[in-house]
Amino acid sequence: MHNAMGTAFTRSSDYDDFDSQEEGSDLEYEQTEDIGFSDMITEKQRRKAYQVDFSVLPLSDIVSAQASASSHVAGILGMTQDQAAALLRNFKWNKERLVERYMDHAQEILDKAGVVLDDVHTPQVKRPRGFVCMICFDDSSAGPAFGLRCGHVFCQPCYEHYLRQKIVEEGECRRILCPETGCNVVVDEPTIKKVVPAAVMSKYRQLQDRVYVSDLDNLVWCPAPNCEYAIECRLSHSSFTTIVPTVTCDCGHKFCFNCTLDDHQPAPCGLVKMWKKKCADDSETANWISAHTKECSKCQSTIEKNGGCNHMTCRKCKYEFCWVCMGPWSEHGTSWYNCNRFEESSSADARDQQAKSRASLERYLHYYNRYANHEHSAKLDRDLYTKTEKKMEEMQRTSDLSWIEVQFLKRAVDVLTSCRMTLRWTYAFAFYLARNNMTELFEDNQRDLEVAVEALSELLEKPIEREKIAELRQQVLDKTVYVESRREVVLEDTAKGLVDGRWEFFVDFNK
Amino acid sequence: MSGICRSRLAEERKQWRKDHPFGFYARPEKKSDGTLDLMNWQVGIPGKPSTPWEGGVYKLVLIFPEDYPSKPPKCKFVPPLFHPNVYPSGTVCLSILNEEEGWKPAITIKQILLGIQDLLNDPNPESPAQSEAYVMFKKDKVSYEKRVRQQAKENTA
Repeated sequence: MHNAMGTAFTRSSDYDDFDSQEEGSDLEYEQTEDIGFSDMITEKQRRKAYQVDFSVLPLSDIVSAQASASSHVAGILGMTQDQAAALLRNFKWNKERLVERYMDHAQEILDKAGVVLDDVHTPQVKRPRGFVCMICFDDSSAGPAFGLRCGHVFCQPCYEHYLRQKIVEEGECRRILCPETGCNVVVDEPTIKKVVPAAVMSKYRQLQDRVYVSDLDNLVWCPAPNCEYAIECRLSHSSFTTIVPTVTCDCGHKFCFNCTLDDHQPAPCGLVKMWKKKCADDSETANWISAHTKECSKCQSTIEKNGGCNHMTCRKCKYEFCWVCMGPWSEHGTSWYNCNRFEESSSADARDQQAKSRASLERYLHYYNRYANHEHSAKLDRDLYTKTEKKMEEMQRTSDLSWIEVQFLKRAVDVLTSCRMTLRWTYAFAFYLARNNMTELFEDNQRDLEVAVEALSELLEKPIEREKIAELRQQVLDKTVYVESRREVVLEDTAKGLVDGRWEFFVDFNK
Repeated sequence: MSGICRSRLAEERKQWRKDHPFGFYARPEKKSDGTLDLMNWQVGIPGKPSTPWEGGVYKLVLIFPEDYPSKPPKCKFVPPLFHPNVYPSGTVCLSILNEEEGWKPAITIKQILLGIQDLLNDPNPESPAQSEAYVMFKKDKVSYEKRVRQQAKENTA
C-alpha cells in the first residue's frame, strides 16, 4: 500500500543528512521551536496541509542518541557516560532540568537513580564471617556474594535470580531495589552487569531503549508486529487536536503518530476515539448485522455483497441497484449520485420525541453503514485483486506482456484501498459535523471521491480480455491518477479546515 | 535459585520453631502419609491488644509457589475474613504480597504474618477488596467496629 502513496509524503532528505551529521543529537529537541524558523517556512511551502514531517529511526539511531546525550551530560557533571545515562533516565532525558536540579540536590538525585560515584565501593564482597544469605538461608562460605551500599548481602545465585526475575519476567529497568525487606536502595548498573549473564544484560539494555522512546514525547515505536523502527515527529502534542499526524514507517506501516492507530485521516484523534467508542456501544445491534446482507428491494431475496463495487444486480430478478442506498442504479449517473448525503429529517418530525430518537439512530446508521461498507469493500477489492493477479500472471506467460505492464493493477488496488480507508473516516468525520455550508462542501468533495472510487472499483471487476488489455490498462491508470487526486483534495481541504477552525462539530472531542 | 524453594521453607520452619512472636502459630500441613507438606502452611494471627480485633486468632493458609521466594506466597483467610482488604475468597490484598509491588525475596514468613497483623486494624482504603467491609468502614465506623468485635469472639483460639 505504501508504494502507491510514497510520493505523497515529504520525507525530506535534508533531515536525513541532518541526522547523520549530528549523530542523532537532534533527538533531544523537545518542541517545534527548536527547528530553525527559516527551515519551517521552506518546509511549509513544500508540504501539503495534511502531511507532517517525520523521520524513521532505526534502532542504532536510538542507541546513539542516548549515547550522545549522556556523553554530553557526563562532560558537564564529571561522571562516566553510564552514570549520566542512569540520571537522564530518571529525568526523562531532559538534560537542562537534570543539570539544573543536580547543582542543588546532587546526592538525592544520585541515590534515586542508584548511581554511586566513588569507585571505592565494589558491589562484590567476600562473605563476611557467619554470613547467611537471607534468601536461600545458605550459610556456606564458598562463592561470591553481593551487597549494595546499604550493606545487605546476598549470595550470587540468589542475587542473579532476583535480577533475572525483575528484568526478564517483569520487564523492569528503571528502579530495581535491593532484595532486602523494605530497603529502597536502587541496584546500580555496574552491579547488574557484574551479577547477571550477558543475555539478561542485553535484555536490560533493550528495555532501556524501549523506555527511552516511550519517555520522549517526540518519539514513538512503529506498532507493526516485529518492526524495530521508531518514528520521530517534532510537532507538539497540543497541535494534534487540529492536525492528523499520519506517518509511514520504513516497514510500510501507515499509522497515526499520536494515537498509533492505523491511519485515520482526515478525522482527528479525538473524533476517532469518540466514534470508535460509539460504534463499540451501538454496533452490536441487529442493524449492524443486517448491514452485511440486504434484501433486494424488488424481489426481497437476501443478497450478500461478494465484490467490491456497489453496483448490484440481483441474480433472481436482474434488478440493478446501489448497495449503499438501495435505490435503482439507473439514478446513479454521475450527476445523480447522492447516496453519500443523509437527508436531515424535516422539522415537523422534530416535535415528536420518538421520531427524533429514531431519526438520530437512523442518522448514525447512515454514517456507520457507509463507514463499515468501505472497510468491507476494501477487503473485497483485495480479494478480487488476488484473483486477478493470478490471471495476469497467466497472461504474462501466454502473451508478450512484460511484468511491468501488468503492475498497473497492483497500484490501482493499493490506491483503492487507501482511498476507501480515507472515505471510511470521512463518514465518521461527517457524522459529527453540524449542518452548514462548509459541511455541504465537504460532502461534495466526499462524493466526488466516492464516485471516482466506485468507478475504479467497477473497472477492476471487468473481465480481462487479452485483446483489450492495453485499453483497460490505460483506463485503469487514468482512473487511478484521478482517484488519487480526489483523495488529496479531500485530505487537503479537511486538514486546512481543521487548522483554520473552519469545521463546526456538534460535540467537543478534545476534552 | 531453582530448587531452593523447599530448602528455604525448611529453614523458615526451623527459624520459626526457634523463635516466633507471641500468639502466632505457623506449621506446614500434614500430607495423608504423615509427612509434612512444606508448600502449604496453616497459620494463625492474633488480633493486636487494645484493638477491636483483640481476642481473636485468625486462621489463614499460605500457599507457596514453586518459584518461591522469587514470587510471594498466596495468603488466604479460612474462612474469609470481614476486612476491607480481604477478597470475598479470603485472599489478602497487601502490597508486600504483590510481586509487582512490594514483594522482596528476603521477606520471611514472620514478616508476612506481622504485616498482615498490622493490616487488621489499619486497613488501606486505597485498595478495597470486598464491598461489605469497605462500605461499612467508610460510612459507619461504629457498626464496623461492632462487627469486628463480633468476629473476634467467633475466632477465639
